[in-house]
Amino acid sequence: MTEDKSEWVRAALREHEGPLMRYATQITGDVDRARDVVQDTFLRLCAEDPARLDGHLAQWLFTVCRNRAFDLQRKEQRMKPLDDIELAAQPGREHSPAAQAEHNENTSRAQRLMRDLPPNQQEVVRLKFQNGLSYKEIAGVTNLSVTNVGFLIHTALKTLRQQMAETEAKI
Amino acid sequence: MKTNLSETDEVKLTAYALNELNAAERVEVEKLLTSNAEAQRWVAEVRQTATLLEGELKAEECPSLTSEQARKIQKQIHVQKQGIWTRQWLPSFRLIEVLVVVAAVAVVAAMLMPALSKSKNKAQRVVWLQQQKLTELKKQLAGETSITVAAPPVSVSDGTSAVFMNSAPAGPANAESASVGQTVDTQVPMLQVEKRWVAPVSGQGGRVVGLQIPRQSMVAVESGKRTDHGLNGYYRLKQPSGYNTESYAAINDNPFLMAQENPLSTFSIDVDTASYANVRRFLTDNQLPPPDAVRIEELVNYFNYHYPQPKGDIPFSVNAEVAGCPWNAAHRLVRIGLKGREVTRDKRPPSNLVFLIDVSGSMNEPDKLPLLKESLKLLARQLTEDDRVSIVTYAGAAGMALPPTAGSDKVTILNALDQLEAGGSTYGSAGIQLAYETAKQNFISGGVNRVILCTDGDFNVGVTSQGDLTRLIQDEAKSGVVLSVLGFGMGNYKDSTMEMLADKGHGNYAYIDSLNEGHRVLVEQLSGTLVTIAKDVKIQVEFNPAQVNGYRLIGYEDRLLAKEDFNDDKKDAGDIGAGHTVTALYEIVPVGQELETTPGVDPLKYQKPAKASKAAGNDELLTLKLRYKQPEGDTSRLLTTVVKDTDKSYDRASTDFKFAAAVAEFGMVLRDSPYKGDADMHSVWEQAKANVGKDPEGYRAEFLTLIEAAQRLTNQ
Repeated sequence: MTEDKSEWVRAALREHEGPLMRYATQITGDVDRARDVVQDTFLRLCAEDPARLDGHLAQWLFTVCRNRAFDLQRKEQRMKPLDDIELAAQPGREHSPAAQAEHNENTSRAQRLMRDLPPNQQEVVRLKFQNGLSYKEIAGVTNLSVTNVGFLIHTALKTLRQQMAETEAKI
Repeated sequence: MKTNLSETDEVKLTAYALNELNAAERVEVEKLLTSNAEAQRWVAEVRQTATLLEGELKAEECPSLTSEQARKIQKQIHVQKQGIWTRQWLPSFRLIEVLVVVAAVAVVAAMLMPALSKSKNKAQRVVWLQQQKLTELKKQLAGETSITVAAPPVSVSDGTSAVFMNSAPAGPANAESASVGQTVDTQVPMLQVEKRWVAPVSGQGGRVVGLQIPRQSMVAVESGKRTDHGLNGYYRLKQPSGYNTESYAAINDNPFLMAQENPLSTFSIDVDTASYANVRRFLTDNQLPPPDAVRIEELVNYFNYHYPQPKGDIPFSVNAEVAGCPWNAAHRLVRIGLKGREVTRDKRPPSNLVFLIDVSGSMNEPDKLPLLKESLKLLARQLTEDDRVSIVTYAGAAGMALPPTAGSDKVTILNALDQLEAGGSTYGSAGIQLAYETAKQNFISGGVNRVILCTDGDFNVGVTSQGDLTRLIQDEAKSGVVLSVLGFGMGNYKDSTMEMLADKGHGNYAYIDSLNEGHRVLVEQLSGTLVTIAKDVKIQVEFNPAQVNGYRLIGYEDRLLAKEDFNDDKKDAGDIGAGHTVTALYEIVPVGQELETTPGVDPLKYQKPAKASKAAGNDELLTLKLRYKQPEGDTSRLLTTVVKDTDKSYDRASTDFKFAAAVAEFGMVLRDSPYKGDADMHSVWEQAKANVGKDPEGYRAEFLTLIEAAQRLTNQ
């Protein structure tokens, strides 16, 4: 690895460690597991060619991170009798009422709004607005078509608008 | 919000508002916008919502990697820089190598088919190659970078060897496949299957163990071309730095404290030794352990020191020795040693033991359930008719595998152990509840009542939070049923969870990496593992600022107590078992020696610093105070000892002192502690080597081989 390349990895780490950790935590629901996933993602980055990833580093990182996170989820939950493990693994796990109440106090308004969105919409919304990826990049990360991503984001925004209007009306 | 726009238009407008359209599409949308007020409103609202969402979502907290993980990545960058794992050569042999492994596994399978058909049971109980691992292998072929395939281990007590493929169709046991196997075999002479389970580094004392099962499944492929890449010619398919979900709580070395400002040092004793066995597992696998896996007090306490037996009605003897510090000539080292009263095997009180065994899918590894069964069989053989044994298993559902049975009924117990099989996901909490109920129903008053949890610690399914689980364990410990934890396995090992559970359950925690270790914990130290002789043992040391400028407690980072906790009988602390020794080391900076500490606070404006008392004028170094409770008691008793420094040099210190110091040094060097001073693996080795002393079980000799392994790995 040349000096340039080490610097490239370090820069990637500085810029993306936090967002990737947040993203992986949302998928795995567990910070420790997210750490393993993100560590692994960066270890893989060390073996990549900077020229090959030029211009789509973020997309690559999020893709690898997502795949590792779901691999881990599948591995750990392969005994779980659910058809759609990916959806079950998404945020919004079940908590006891007490834990839920505590949870509510600590969550932001955005998180509360997001909670009612289906997991696939939550994910694309986060990739778009939290992590600044374009439709095309999101499509690459999630293996969906660009049209599909556009549709999911649109639907999510529509729901959120509606909810916000309702909340405001109540107040 | 309802609009009269078509959905397609809406989606386009949203994309437009978010700048996701190309030039041609934009022109089209802008046309629509000029004529449609509703479209304009939608675009405005999308932008407003987007801004709001961005603000809220970007403000969400980002967790970070642990410092250890960041270090690992930095290290990888470094390794890559040196060109050890470059892409230039990786793909060139990886494909071939994996093919070789696939071929070789098939060869072994084919070759062993006759044996398999003769004795299917024998073969089945040994080894398997999971379908999943084949899938992973395929993934590797597709060009993934890290390789995590483990091939089946081969070796059984009776010498039968077999590979059993449980889902891939195993080759038919006919002459044709056998001959194919032979042909390939001559072309591929480098298949080598690791056969090690019995702790690979055998001490001089040479502990003998009857059964051998490889402790790690791994295929090593050797090739003359590649012996230069630092892995001893083994291409490790179980990639150490790759995908791994082991978890360790972070440890920050205790800093030096000024005796003037912090005269009291308070901590709970810890008799656990799990960290040593875990470190040994890493080193014998040719990996340096992650620093957070190295708990120095557990390394030091792994060894027996020759402290005298207690006298009178005090359950343990208290000993102290002060001499020069080997890694910093200007400093002194204080060793505090406790020795619990020995309870001979025939005087061991009757025991009501409930084994709570994790039989989830993750335990389906040679170094987990099979090792667990053999280890527990060793224990079962020690039991008598006064003892009661039950086995509760947990996986998808909790179940009773052995109802309470007299310890003398060995056949029933051993059969029940034999019949355990792994499968299902972990649901720890229901199993724990059943285990405690069973223990309470068979409660032996005046005896040992203990739940022994055997697991790789992965409680990941089920809704019960860790908080609920610890509360349950804590409550049950108060009712007299204590919890011991035996940890098994690797790769998915939850060290932090298990230590915490044993801690809350007033029990001990051991990591079993080999049948030797099983023997040590469950046979040699059975009384200590089972019989608690004193509980809530706390140590408080008051340093004399007239003698001591600063001090540092080595290890016990997660056992520190507030000074007020010492006299508070409601505060739990560690228990000491029969025959256990507990050792704690303080590094002392004598007065007159400079102390590097963090910048202190400004002098107080309204108070003067406390003045030294008259007692400080004498030559006492420190006062050692201990509090403990009888196993059944609720009120603590206080023991006080004064320790003086007789200016003994390191050279004149006892063998045990020097050996304990070497172990602590070993831990500090492994952790790359900022306080390691002049220490390196070489100095550790020299000190340890010179101070093996009496070592009937060979543990100290084994330690020497671990230092050598660590030295080799550090130099790489």
